[in-house]
Amino acid sequence: MPDLTRLPPVVARRRAGVRSHADLLSTPIIVLLGGAAVALWVSTRKLDDIETRALQPSAILSDLGQHLILTAYSTFFVIVIAVPLGILLSRQGARRIRNVVLAVSGFAQALPPYGVLVLIAFAPAPFGFNPFSVIAGLVAAALLPVLRNTVVGLRQVDPALIEAARGMGMSARATLFRVELPLAVPVMMAGIRVALVLNVGTAVLATFVGGGGLGSLIVRAQTLNRPIVLVTAGAIVAALALMVDWLAGVAERLVRARTS
Amino acid sequence: MDLISYLRENAGTVLLYGEQHLLVVFFAIALGSTISIGFALLVTPGEAAPQRWSLDWILGAIRDGALLVTAAALTVPSLALLVLLLPLFGLGAATTVTALTIYSLYSVLRNSVAGLSSVDAGVLESAKGLGMGRLRRLIRVQLPLAWPVILNGIRVATLIDVAIAAVAALVRGPGLGQLVLTGLSRYGAANAFNQVLVGTLGCLVVAAVFEIFYAIVERLTVPRGIRV
Amino acid sequence: MSRATTNPGGSADRPPDQQPMIVLEGVSKTYPGHLTPAVAEVDLAVARGSIVMLVGPSGCGKTTTLKMMNRLIEPTTGRILLDGEDVTKVNADQLRRRIGYVIQQVGLFPHFTVGQNIGVVPRMLGWERRRIRQRIDELLELVGLPPGEFRDRYPRQLSGGQQQRVGVARALAADPPVMLMDEPFGAIDPITRERLHDQFLEIQRTVRKTICFVTHDLQEAIKLGDHIAIFAAGGRIAQYDTPEMILSRPANDFVREFVGSGAAVRRLHLIALSTLALDKIATGSSATAGAHPVIEVDGSGRPVAWIRVPGVDGSPALATVPLSGSVYDAVDAMLDAHSSAVAVVDGDGRAVGALRWEALVGELQMRGRHR
Repeated sequence: MPDLTRLPPVVARRRAGVRSHADLLSTPIIVLLGGAAVALWVSTRKLDDIETRALQPSAILSDLGQHLILTAYSTFFVIVIAVPLGILLSRQGARRIRNVVLAVSGFAQALPPYGVLVLIAFAPAPFGFNPFSVIAGLVAAALLPVLRNTVVGLRQVDPALIEAARGMGMSARATLFRVELPLAVPVMMAGIRVALVLNVGTAVLATFVGGGGLGSLIVRAQTLNRPIVLVTAGAIVAALALMVDWLAGVAERLVRARTS
Repeated sequence: MDLISYLRENAGTVLLYGEQHLLVVFFAIALGSTISIGFALLVTPGEAAPQRWSLDWILGAIRDGALLVTAAALTVPSLALLVLLLPLFGLGAATTVTALTIYSLYSVLRNSVAGLSSVDAGVLESAKGLGMGRLRRLIRVQLPLAWPVILNGIRVATLIDVAIAAVAALVRGPGLGQLVLTGLSRYGAANAFNQVLVGTLGCLVVAAVFEIFYAIVERLTVPRGIRV
Repeated sequence: MSRATTNPGGSADRPPDQQPMIVLEGVSKTYPGHLTPAVAEVDLAVARGSIVMLVGPSGCGKTTTLKMMNRLIEPTTGRILLDGEDVTKVNADQLRRRIGYVIQQVGLFPHFTVGQNIGVVPRMLGWERRRIRQRIDELLELVGLPPGEFRDRYPRQLSGGQQQRVGVARALAADPPVMLMDEPFGAIDPITRERLHDQFLEIQRTVRKTICFVTHDLQEAIKLGDHIAIFAAGGRIAQYDTPEMILSRPANDFVREFVGSGAAVRRLHLIALSTLALDKIATGSSATAGAHPVIEVDGSGRPVAWIRVPGVDGSPALATVPLSGSVYDAVDAMLDAHSSAVAVVDGDGRAVGALRWEALVGELQMRGRHR
């Protein structure tokens, strides 16, 4: 999964005018259309016993619940770890490490979360095939985007503002909390959104290392090898990811509107 | 068995998987880039601020719509997209290449659009004033000037695809993901861990090969006048 | 407001080579979504081989008028004739290849060398390679950039002034009869601009193009233009005339105000020193000469100092001005040296005459009365 924040913001800038939030409608429309298409297809087909059992709402809901819990925990830990680390790295003294981290974080996109997850599950206790490993793996896979955006967000704060704050007698600490961090929030939010989407996506693989989640639904569908179950499972997971990304996008927009 | 001796004994297999990984990503990127760049060229408006409902305005709207849709596609978890494609393309390489192509679209499209539309207004106006037609402006002026940005988009798309290609093993796709999958299924057996490790880190090696490739391509294709 | 008064190209029944090169007939442009036109009912005729300056405050429609001539903007109503041919009847790209176009941002292609930039239009016209190469070198010579040194450079390796000279060369490449220039020297520092102006006029003496030139700088318009069209807000031409007439006979209040209180001083630009009767001067050796100013010269005839100037006590500071200059330059030199006389020198720096303040004032009074 990508680090979207590395690309130039074309659409956002173009849309800065009157219909600035019209693009927020696109995801719900895509999800509704896709969902309607799948629902229509399923409703025209007579499901046999196996298919009905595979698509039982109660099973899907329990998978969904697990999935959301995994996502929530891992995103929480990503923020708790990456944000303070990012703040540390953004300080004057950490220049050398910072440059290394920034250089590595782009390339590290090529590291497959799937492999990372399995590697962590192979590690000795407390790791192993359990939810703890899953969360550790998710955190590891999503750490860098947040770290990177925290550093970049803090570094792009106008040095003149920091100087002005210090000139007024603010301590370094007060400057950080009252000037730098508030101004860096939009960029940090973008990184957190990326992490959230990454986590939703990677959590699909949790089922292979004993973590459950919606991946289980997909695996069940795959073993049955019924197209209708496969497509339904895939569509549910896709819709979840799209909606989570959309909600995060709305939140990001709200934060941005407040800070600028 | 330690990692070194594992690699020594299985060099052939590992190289084969690495090569498959590289090729699958290469085909997908080639396909995705061709589609994205071609599409971006088609929908780049001839004017910066076109009139409402003019052809250029409609093209701009199509372009923005395509960006939103490809961006949405990128948020779909890889396993979900792979199983959605299964009924269409079956197990194996076809599904893998299709999924990777879809994932590569956004980065390349976005950078192509940004690059093509960020060409200096004065340069475009003088091109027009000298009597260059729309197509000539696009091919002779806008594309070469946008090329470094587009190439960077292709680079990012490649990194993304190298990681995602590992998941493709779950639908019998070729590549290093096969090593991870085998290792996972043989949990506890000798070399299972090494297989997972090599499958995972091998992706970084594949990515490094691509990075070197792109550095050479950049050197050869970016016009000297705009090289930094 | 009175319409353009003179029409230098004249009417249609003249011999073809005296017909105006560019004719605008009742040309208007109203941008979509705007109630008032950007250009309203403009009539303009530009004589072959002359320079017409389009001047006016910003937003007065002068750039729009220029861009309609090569159809970068399409007129809403009216006709534009280029060499007798309606421009809207020909393919816009073909049309533009016959019209040189220079803009303030220069717009050189950064990925092309200087030579490739100049060769763009000839290449599109399908010239053979050798001819293009020859043409590139010829044009680089013309704009004062040695081809050997500049042909293979990239635009980013040039200064702003050099870039604009390449821009002019590129516009001249296919030898178009018409050049359109949109504030070409607007972004260049004043000293370089002065030099480019002189060079521009020199080039024009050789190439004799029909040039439309947009500027907001009246000074530039007076210096470069054979005729000036002053645009008023609302996209109308307030006066279209020679620089001299615009400065001395503003057609209306708008022009009077636009020309401003400095008109009399600006007019001095228009009087070449070579057209004045200068005082003869005696050189240092014949110091006895009566009514003439006496000047000390060195071995090659260059002035060193005044010895005596009639009507002036003591010997004033020496100021010189070239014979090719204008009365403005002479007055400037006098004021600068706090001197009431100036020595006029020829191209080699030899003193050829003197101009005294009183004599100058008398001359100008005479000219004023004759008008």
